[in-house]
Amino acid sequence: MSILEFSHVSLTMSQTKRRTGTGKSKRLRRFAGETKRQVIPVVNDLSFSVQAGQSIALVGGKALARTSILRLAAGTLIPDSGTVTRSEPIVPMIGIARGFGRGYTVRQNIYLVGGILGLTPDQVEQRIPQITEFADLKSILDRHLGAAPASTRQKLAWSIAMSLDARFYAVDQTLVVGERDFRQKCWTHVDQLREQGATFIISADNSKVYRRFCDRALYFSHGKLEADTTVAAALALARKARHAARDSED
Amino acid sequence: MLRMLVLRDLQRQYTKFRLGYLWSLLEPLGMALVLWLVFSVLLGERALGLQPYLLFLSVAILPWWWFLKSVQASTKIFRRMRGEIAFSGLPLQIWVFRTVISSMVEFIFSLPVIVIAMAVTGFLPGPLIVLFPVAIALQFLLLYGIGLLVASLSVVAPDVTRVVKIILRAMFYLSPILYSISNIPASVQPIAALNPLVGILGLYRIGWWPEEQTSAWALVTSLSVAAGFLIAGLITFKRLKPRILKEA
Repeated sequence: MSILEFSHVSLTMSQTKRRTGTGKSKRLRRFAGETKRQVIPVVNDLSFSVQAGQSIALVGGKALARTSILRLAAGTLIPDSGTVTRSEPIVPMIGIARGFGRGYTVRQNIYLVGGILGLTPDQVEQRIPQITEFADLKSILDRHLGAAPASTRQKLAWSIAMSLDARFYAVDQTLVVGERDFRQKCWTHVDQLREQGATFIISADNSKVYRRFCDRALYFSHGKLEADTTVAAALALARKARHAARDSED
Repeated sequence: MLRMLVLRDLQRQYTKFRLGYLWSLLEPLGMALVLWLVFSVLLGERALGLQPYLLFLSVAILPWWWFLKSVQASTKIFRRMRGEIAFSGLPLQIWVFRTVISSMVEFIFSLPVIVIAMAVTGFLPGPLIVLFPVAIALQFLLLYGIGLLVASLSVVAPDVTRVVKIILRAMFYLSPILYSISNIPASVQPIAALNPLVGILGLYRIGWWPEEQTSAWALVTSLSVAAGFLIAGLITFKRLKPRILKEA
């Protein structure tokens, strides 16, 4: 049964672009570094459905497009047209590490981000041992996060998201975090979740991740769904597209 | 959740400086003193506002401070929270709500300034002081409406942030903070009543100066404009929500 369904979803986003050119008009505004806005189509008439227990790889297209699809799936972005229906809440693992504040202690940060992800303070409290254990941060629990290295933040973000025990995750670029041991731990955990029937949608720039976890791939090009195939086939398509782009440059 | 966000906000405010919480008192107190010096001592007996002028000022300066901080913070709130918005399952309004509450808590913390001014001047309020909390509640609703309005609009057009700055400066002089509503010529008073702050500031002051609230009609006008802001804020936010998610 499908737990996520995109039906004819389209989305445009606006991007700012620095004014360029050498003409006389707007010379001052160019000099001031003024930008102009451009509306670009990100997702174009996209339809697909996800069955429970699948792991989907998003291949090809721009990173912005892949992130947008994840956010659309999780409901933190509303499409311009078309509908997204989901029968289960999705944990959006999209830049969670950016939600931490440097001025707060690790414990406060766990409450903060846990809360933003929708946990009540009591639920966070129950999960704190599990989270610190997983992230291996017990020793600095009451110290300020301050200038902790990015890998620590990512580890913390991961551990919080993993502790939610959700059935559906949307993962953006973050499957490769921390040092080797931690990565191994994460990956085993993901494997366990998958065995228990959790669903994943993954966008990564590491094809190893796709090969390891995904059993189905969606290949995008210019915001359109081009192919709904296996991971190997989609990666081959992406490679071919890259080569074609390079050849046309030569 | 909301409580936690507010606590974090306050913590950030207070741990940064050595005097911590005292700044909540010192900042408005300093402002009140400066204005009192200029308008009462230097300009002498021009009969601006009501006596005692120091208390008269501080009763209005504190709510104004809350108003100013809250509206200013609202203009930037969605952009500041863009990272959190990408993965948050919470309703989007919570971020505006939080700014208003945080600045309200700071306002309440700064209320001892009024007590100090009362002690210095020895001027005590009458029974109408019960309207003071009502004024706080009304101002809260007004700020929530304005907050949603400017927060949503400034995502679509960042220029709104600048415009709001100018409007806020004008509001300071157009609202009865330095002066009493009775200082305004009677012919202009109906127009002044369109300013939602006129009604609310009147309610703050009425406990000490019952003559401050001249006509019930002006109060009703002022408060309905405030209600209008709330409705406009809610509608604008609802319509712009997809764009806020996209562009914040």
